[in-house]
Amino acid sequence: MLTIKNLVTQYDSIKALDDISFQAKPGVITTVIGANGAGKSTLLRTISGLERPTSGTIQWFDKELTRMSVEAIVRGGITQVPEGHAVISQLSVAENIELGGLFRKRIARGDLAKATTEVYELFPLLYDRRNEPAGSLSGGERQMLAISRALVSRPKLLLLDEPSLGLAPLITAQIIEIINNLCRNTGLTVLLVEQNANTALKVAEHGILLALGKVVADAPARELINDSALRTAYLGY
Amino acid sequence: MESLLTAIFSGTAQGSIYALVSLGLVLVWRGAGVVNFAQMGQAMFTTYIASQMIQNDYSYWSAFVVALAAGGLLGGLVDLGLMRPLTSRKNSQLLNSQSMRNAIPIIASLGILGILKALAGIIWAGEERGFPGPVQPNPISFGSTNLAITSFDLFVIAVVFFTLLLTTIFFTKTGMGLAMRASALNPEVTRLSGIKVSWVRTLGWIISGTASSLAGLLITPRTNLSPNTLDLLLIIGFTAAVVGGLTSLAGAVLGGFILGYVISFVSVYSAPENVFIAILLFLLFALFVRPQGILGSKEVRRV
Repeated sequence: MLTIKNLVTQYDSIKALDDISFQAKPGVITTVIGANGAGKSTLLRTISGLERPTSGTIQWFDKELTRMSVEAIVRGGITQVPEGHAVISQLSVAENIELGGLFRKRIARGDLAKATTEVYELFPLLYDRRNEPAGSLSGGERQMLAISRALVSRPKLLLLDEPSLGLAPLITAQIIEIINNLCRNTGLTVLLVEQNANTALKVAEHGILLALGKVVADAPARELINDSALRTAYLGY
Repeated sequence: MESLLTAIFSGTAQGSIYALVSLGLVLVWRGAGVVNFAQMGQAMFTTYIASQMIQNDYSYWSAFVVALAAGGLLGGLVDLGLMRPLTSRKNSQLLNSQSMRNAIPIIASLGILGILKALAGIIWAGEERGFPGPVQPNPISFGSTNLAITSFDLFVIAVVFFTLLLTTIFFTKTGMGLAMRASALNPEVTRLSGIKVSWVRTLGWIISGTASSLAGLLITPRTNLSPNTLDLLLIIGFTAAVVGGLTSLAGAVLGGFILGYVISFVSVYSAPENVFIAILLFLLFALFVRPQGILGSKEVRRV
C-alpha cells in the first residue's frame, strides 16, 4: 500500500504539490491524471526521492520514503520510469537493461539472469536489437526499453511517467496491456501518470485527478471515466 | 630516415604518457563536470613521495606502488573532502547561479594545485632533482644501427598499453565500468537504476588520480622533478582531451597520441623550443575544424 499524506513539494515559492493525500492499493494500477502542470511528474519525482518535499509523508507499507535517498528507494523496490522514454542512447539495448539490475548483481545474480530473460520474452523486439545503441530505437521501442530497465530491478511498485507521450495509440495500447498483465500475473503495483486520461482510466482500477497541485477527484476509474463534468472542468474535453 | 624513426618512436613514448594525463582529465570531466587543474599537482606530489622513498633506500617498485596508491587516495580525498561538500550545499546564495556552481570546483582545483606546490616546496625544498626509472635508458640497437628509442621508452610504452588494456576491460566488461559510463551520460537515469552516482563519481576521481600519478612516474625520469615540472604536461594533456572530444575516453587516448606525434615531429623537424607554440596552434586548429573533438559527439536531443 502506498500512502501519501499532506504532501507539499515546492519549487522556490511555488507549490507544485499542495497538500496531497491519497492511497494506491497493492497489485493494481492507480492512475494519476491531470492537465499539463498539474503536478503529476513532481509527484512521481517526489516519491522516488528526486525532489524533497517541504512537508508531508510518503509511506510504502511501513517504510517512510521522504528521508530515503533515490538509490535506497529503488533498492527498496520502488522504481520510476521517467518521462520521455528515458534510456541512455549511447549505451546498447543490453547495457541499458543490465544497468537496471546492476545493484542486484552481487545479491541475486541468478534471479537477475532470469529477470533479464523475462523482459526479453516480454519485448522480443529488444532481444533482436540488444547489441544496437539505444539511440537507434524508435520511440515505442525506447519506452519498452525504459520499462525493461525498471523491471529487471524486480520492483514492487512501478512509477510510470507518461508512457504514452509521443507514441502512436496502437503502441501505447500494447505497452499498457503488457503493464496490465504484469499487475495481474505478478502482483506488481503501478502508479501510472498520464495526460491521456482516457487510455489511463480504461486500464486503471482507481483514478486520482490533479489540478494545480491539488487532488480534485479520488474515485474508482470507471466513475471518473463517466464523469463528463469533471472532464470538461479539468481535462478540457 | 633516422629522424623520421626518432619522431615516430619518441612520439609514441611521449604520446602514451599524454594519453594517461588526458584520460585522467576526461574521467573527472565526464563524471563531475570539473576540469581538474590540480591533477598534475597531485601527480607531482606523489612522485615526490616516490622519490623520497627511493632516497630512503626503498626499491623502485615499492615506491612505484605506493605512489600509485597515494595518487588514488589523493584523488578520492579531493572529491570527498572538497568537491562534494562544495557542490552539495543547497542553501548557499552563491550556488544559486549555475555559472558560479560550475566555476567553484574549478577555482577550488586551482587552490589545491597551489597548496600542493607550496607543500612540496616546504617539504622537499623545491629544487629540481632527478627521478630514476626502473631501467637505464640504453639505446636499443637493431643489427648495427641504433634505433632512436631507449629501453626506458619501451618500458613506458609497455606500461601504458597494459594500463589502457586494463582500463578498456574495466569499462566494457565490468558492471562497475558500465555504472561509470552510465553515470557520466545520464546521472538521473543511473540514480533511478539504484546506483550511487556520487560514489561512482568518487571512483572516477580515484582512477584519474592513479593514472596521473603513473604519468608523473613515467615522465619525470626525462624531465626531472620540481614543484612546477608537470605544469606543461597538464596543458598538453588538456589539449589532448579537447582534441579527443573531452567526453570520450577513447578520444582522450587518441588525442594523447596525436599530441605526442605533433610534439615529436615539431621538435625533430623544427626545434624543441617551438613545441609550446605548436601545441597551442594545434589546439586552435582542432577547435576550428572539429569543435566537438575527434570522438566527441554533439548533444543530439530528440523531442
